[in-house]
Amino acid sequence: MSEHLRLKRAFLRHPGLARLAVMIVLFALWEIVARVWIDPTFLSPPSRVLASLGDLFDTKGIPVALRITFWELAIAFAISVVIGLTVGLAVGLSRFSNRSLMPIILLLYGTPQITILPLFILYFGIGPPSKIAFGVSHGIFPIIVTIVAGVQNIKPILMTAAHSMGARRWQIFRWVIFPHMIPTFFAGMRLGMAGVLLGVLLAELYVSTAGIGYFTQLFTQAFEPTKLLGLVSVLAAMAIALNEIVRRAEVHFGRWRTD
Amino acid sequence: MTTGDVAIHVRDVSHQFGEPGDAQFVQALQHTSLDIARGELLCLIGPSGCGKSTLLNMIGGLLTPTTGTVEVSGKPVRGPLPHDIAFVFQENALFPWCTIIENVKLGMVFQGVPKAEQEPRARKALDAVGLKDFMGHYPAQLSGGMRQRAALARALSLETGTLLMDEPFGALDEQTRMILGEDLSVLLSTTGKTIVFVTHSLGEAVFLADRVAVFSARPGRIKEIIAVDEPHPRKPSFVTTEKFSRLRNTLYELLHEEIRKAVEQSATVVA
Amino acid sequence: MSVRRDRRDKIASLSVQVGFLVALVALWYLGTAYWGISRILLPNPVNVWAELKDILASGEYLPDLRVTLTELAAAFAISCTAGITLGFFISRSPYLIKVFEPLLAGFYSVPVILFLPLYVLFFGLGPGSKIALGTTISFFPIVLNTIAGFGYVDKIFITAARSMGASDFQMFRYVLLPAAFPVILTGLRMGFTVALLAILGSETIASLAGLGHRIVHLAEAMETARMFAYIAFVVVIAALLNTAMSTLERRAKRR
Repeated sequence: MSEHLRLKRAFLRHPGLARLAVMIVLFALWEIVARVWIDPTFLSPPSRVLASLGDLFDTKGIPVALRITFWELAIAFAISVVIGLTVGLAVGLSRFSNRSLMPIILLLYGTPQITILPLFILYFGIGPPSKIAFGVSHGIFPIIVTIVAGVQNIKPILMTAAHSMGARRWQIFRWVIFPHMIPTFFAGMRLGMAGVLLGVLLAELYVSTAGIGYFTQLFTQAFEPTKLLGLVSVLAAMAIALNEIVRRAEVHFGRWRTD
Repeated sequence: MTTGDVAIHVRDVSHQFGEPGDAQFVQALQHTSLDIARGELLCLIGPSGCGKSTLLNMIGGLLTPTTGTVEVSGKPVRGPLPHDIAFVFQENALFPWCTIIENVKLGMVFQGVPKAEQEPRARKALDAVGLKDFMGHYPAQLSGGMRQRAALARALSLETGTLLMDEPFGALDEQTRMILGEDLSVLLSTTGKTIVFVTHSLGEAVFLADRVAVFSARPGRIKEIIAVDEPHPRKPSFVTTEKFSRLRNTLYELLHEEIRKAVEQSATVVA
Repeated sequence: MSVRRDRRDKIASLSVQVGFLVALVALWYLGTAYWGISRILLPNPVNVWAELKDILASGEYLPDLRVTLTELAAAFAISCTAGITLGFFISRSPYLIKVFEPLLAGFYSVPVILFLPLYVLFFGLGPGSKIALGTTISFFPIVLNTIAGFGYVDKIFITAARSMGASDFQMFRYVLLPAAFPVILTGLRMGFTVALLAILGSETIASLAGLGHRIVHLAEAMETARMFAYIAFVVVIAALLNTAMSTLERRAKRR
């Protein structure tokens, strides 16, 4: 069999390989376009970006800004999970709370929170607290909604069966509701992480006097695409890593589910 | 039947949903009285909506009758009696996040069985229903028939005097039902439990029961009780006998007009 | 549960909601009028209302609204065209779906807002960068839903049509398109919603015009009452646009 056909076979049998190939092609395209066509003032090839990462980290203030952003994300996520879980369980388990509070929650979830970002900065200042607050404000809603939905789709027959076997309320919570909710909880966390990432990064980019926002504005105005791409890539990598952690956790703990 | 032999005493119960005059008012069960002997297997059969599941739930304490009382083993039923009554439901009531053996043990946790006893009792029950090799499996990995065997094992492991079964084979195909019915007959003949079994299937009722209570269409009441005088465990060949056919035909005649009535009722509801 | 208890619960929960809103507004008013919360941090609701009336009456909002809506329309038009076209072609082959669907879904998990500084560097502070970001972010739900819509049509329909002699065009027009239509429509609605958010967001962060920019401008000028009025205005506009989109989606699906 010729090399050409063998390669084709390999790609067909392993879509993952094809995906990798697509990524490589895209990077190659980026490299070529940036070197040949586009003015270096506006775009930098990936090779140069990679090479200058060292310089980027040497730039005063960048490592600190990145570290602060990371901690903002972690703290905002932790707070979102605590609030989201508590409110979600409280609203989901009580039919009355569900009926009265859920519409309010959904209303808040649907409003474009970006419009009140300047208010958050006004109230909480330009430091980490406002970023964390904005992150929490974006993270709690998907978690609450997911948890409430999860509680509501416990099959009633399971509650009936436990009740018929003499289970008391706390036993039903411990042995029926809690194990049922574990995959839902991790799904909620995944969405919560996405929300927190959005909120914290939005706030960081908005504040141009300190933190990440200072540097993005600096590099933009000084037309340094290499450094800007480097910074954005590092942030993207951070986001991907965090998302991946939560996703892996979800897959691992959702083992008993078949849907 | 002397009073000493009565395991379940149903006195003048009825059940309704809503108030007369409400748009959603339903008289699920008319005034009904029934005595079930210790060790007897009574089948409840009838058209959809006739109240047989309602009666079963009232016997088991999952539903409070609008009127009347129920006594099981001499105790008044005002809620679940997990030490006296165990249920097997139609739908999959096994907890999907537990393995089969964990499911059986969890039932005992709820009932209050000491931890040391749980494992041996669970193993014994699962062995009795033929699931010895599948104890570590999750319900999703098993077929419908095996899941219902597991549900039965969970109920048996609770070692109650009474077993209430609400169309346990309803979701299974004909062939699986046949096999499970035969195995059930063998199993129950050794336990001496009092069993109330709700079913839609005429053949199943005749094959398993000592007596069959036939319900009318809604508002339901017991139309007639047929006795099946045949020793336990029932042999598979019982199905081919003339006696079986005769009993099955009797049930058919009693039920057919009620089923027609029930279908008409549901058609008007849909319209 | 009986009907009567049900009705009582409905009234009770409604009163909780109404009570919540009333209490909120009352606290707001008392806080600014009597409890001495700084006018700059939290403006008096009466002032906010006055500013809002002024904004609406004077038509001051028009240029900014026009900018935002134009950016939204352009971004959405581009992402619709690109998304549906690409989605359709990918959906033609199960292999292509297997290769590209996870890639696209994975891309989408990166917060697309990170592209904004790059676009601002490339396109400047004008509408170009906003349209670019809006297009980028709304592209993904549209293309993914298009792939799902066309790619996962129940085999039985295709088999049945083929057995009755349908040509490729007939297959597309009478089987694939109607089957995919609801799913694609959902994707369009989702794309619209995120495009609007992206555009408002980018106007807030780096812009010279548009509704998002206007709010920032007022915040920096400490004109908090007017800013609140604009926030309310934008929230209502966003709600109207999204409701309109949802209604369109529902109407179209009913056919």
